[in-house]
Amino acid sequence: MTTTRIVDTPPARPAVDEAPLKRQRRNRALLQAACILISLFMLVPIYLISLAALSTRESLNEFPLSLLPTNLSFETLRAFLGSTGIIGAFGNSLIVGLGTLLISALIGVPAGYALARFAFPAKEPYQLFLLFTRALPIVVLSVPLARLFLTVDLYDTTYAVILLHTALALPTTILISASVFLSVPIDVEEAARVFGCTPAGAFLKVVLPMALPGLAAASIFTFVMSWNEVLGASILTLDHRTLPAQVLTSLSDSPLAYRFAGGFALVIPSIIFIAFMRRYLTNMWGSTIR
Amino acid sequence: MKNAPPFLSQRSVSRRSALLGGLGAALSVPFLSSCAGFDTSGAAAGKGTVGFLSTQFTPVEEKQRYEDVLRKTLNVPVAYNSVDPGVFTSTVQTQTEAGSVRTALLGGLHGELAPLADSLEDVDQILRDLSGSGFTQEVLDLTKVGGTTSKYVPWMQATYVVAVNKKALEWLPGGVDVNDLTYEGFLEWAQAAKQGAGRPVFGMPAGPKGLHHRFYQGFLLPSFTGGQITTFRNSDAVMAWEYMKDLWDATAPASTNFDAMQEPLARGEVLVAWDHVARLVGAPADNPDEWLMVPAPRGPKGRGYMLIVAGVALPKNGLERERAEQAIRGLAEPTTQIETLRSNAFFPVVQTELPTDLAGAIALEAAAVRLQQRSAGALLALPPVGLGPKEGEVSQIFKNCFQEICLNGSAVQPTLDDQAKQLNTILQELKVPCWAPDPVSAGEKCEVA
Repeated sequence: MTTTRIVDTPPARPAVDEAPLKRQRRNRALLQAACILISLFMLVPIYLISLAALSTRESLNEFPLSLLPTNLSFETLRAFLGSTGIIGAFGNSLIVGLGTLLISALIGVPAGYALARFAFPAKEPYQLFLLFTRALPIVVLSVPLARLFLTVDLYDTTYAVILLHTALALPTTILISASVFLSVPIDVEEAARVFGCTPAGAFLKVVLPMALPGLAAASIFTFVMSWNEVLGASILTLDHRTLPAQVLTSLSDSPLAYRFAGGFALVIPSIIFIAFMRRYLTNMWGSTIR
Repeated sequence: MKNAPPFLSQRSVSRRSALLGGLGAALSVPFLSSCAGFDTSGAAAGKGTVGFLSTQFTPVEEKQRYEDVLRKTLNVPVAYNSVDPGVFTSTVQTQTEAGSVRTALLGGLHGELAPLADSLEDVDQILRDLSGSGFTQEVLDLTKVGGTTSKYVPWMQATYVVAVNKKALEWLPGGVDVNDLTYEGFLEWAQAAKQGAGRPVFGMPAGPKGLHHRFYQGFLLPSFTGGQITTFRNSDAVMAWEYMKDLWDATAPASTNFDAMQEPLARGEVLVAWDHVARLVGAPADNPDEWLMVPAPRGPKGRGYMLIVAGVALPKNGLERERAEQAIRGLAEPTTQIETLRSNAFFPVVQTELPTDLAGAIALEAAAVRLQQRSAGALLALPPVGLGPKEGEVSQIFKNCFQEICLNGSAVQPTLDDQAKQLNTILQELKVPCWAPDPVSAGEKCEVA
């Protein structure tokens, strides 16, 4: 019996070197493991925050803490969301985030395009100089800004915060979009011109769609920066605060349960935004990082 | 990812339209809405609302409760906006400098209002009208913030006491009276409890935002030395810090993470702790029968205790002046003061009988506070007066002493000499007279002897 089986096997098979295949499988498994580990690194804190935000206050005092949702309660979260100004502040944050996104895209994308396509004197120092706004602490910027806005009557409006956040976001927007446009081959743009596009048409119809994933990445930076910025927003506003400015002081002094509820409420919107922008982002690795 | 190119080309149109839609929506939200943002403090309720910017009651629940108190007891609408002290200072300063003040009423601790004195209106007239309310002379002196006119109206006061879980009483050494603790007795108790429980059960608010520097400034040092600054490095102070070292050995090491003691107390992690009344009140909230609140211990020079005073002030050229004054008068009413005590555990500054039906935790605190202030040898200490923005640095020096002596195990006298040098550098720059319990003499500047 055994002999027939040996004879049945095609003689070529033992000759195949299976080591590369095994190596590939092992590498894939390792890659998967690494992916899972990295995902856990991101997800476990979010899970713990959600769990704590949705637990009863008493269960947070228990030791050891249960890692499964055994004491679900929306009480703290409801009390937090019901406190004065949270919904308004949420709206303000959204206005400021989207406004910042819009203005910094309107200014930053053309600037990035210019940096990528044209050679002009002092281009290198200009790029370096762009980063200068980030070198100054926000406190140093926002106190004089508050004075300025007080005199021009912009103080305590979302416009003031949008302007500050735009100034803070522009360097990253410009530099990221410049590198994105660099990765779009100039040939396709020239081809579009050859086939009768105007410069603006070539930009809108050919370059922009190819650059979109990278621009989406830049917009995530912008939005999250604006969403998280506290200090400037709290100095520039009084009765029209953004969400972090409204809750951060109060949260750091509040009982644990509220800190988790607040953290949860702060994290969720930016996760939703990132999940939405992710659709544009996934192709970025193909188009910009080569 | 392999079939990405066709996928990409198919989707590019819809993606572009999605982006355009998104841009359109983004455009419309901020710019088509005529308002410059949504109101977050209740100030938009209409003209005539008093904008009250304050550093107090920042925690979510306290703020909600205080808004209720204001709504119930004042007959003017108030938009209560509580902020971080740093933001408070810079907001007031920028608004004054820009000549465009957008607040009507400012509330803060003495130490937060004092550096802003130049931006505050004199309130002597209001204080004269309220003279029947029975503000104590010490508090009235404080409102002058080193000048000749009063800059704020006392709003509320607080102090620090010791909260005791009755479980800890089983280790109370014989002959030690829990309501009349001495520092020696307190230490013996802490040591006995550590031995009995198998772990340290005494706690200190020595976390990054804890108030333990007030313990050294207002309790430990005055009780041992009779002073706070002048006696900073004398032999009594060395004794005090040696004592602190022993006490720290019997204290839960996790104390360096505790900001407000009510949480570790409520968890049962700590059974006995000294802290600010507002930061203890949550511990016995559910089961007041299992708790005691007792005065801070007394030492060789008396029972040092610190009084924290908060005040309300009118910014110069502020909005809604008339209504703001009305609000100040309302805040000084006994009913408002009592309601504040009931809801947020800050004590009245006016002369009034405390009601007998206070909630368990607050009744405990009220009794302890009264006992502490009226006990024999009570020695009033004030938080630093007139240091303005340097106050944080002075507090840091006391924290440094704790860090060096208790955590790093440095020798006491050299540490104190070293820190005294830094303290004097700050004080010489400021040239301010001393404050209680150090000998107060106008014109003489305060420094470490």
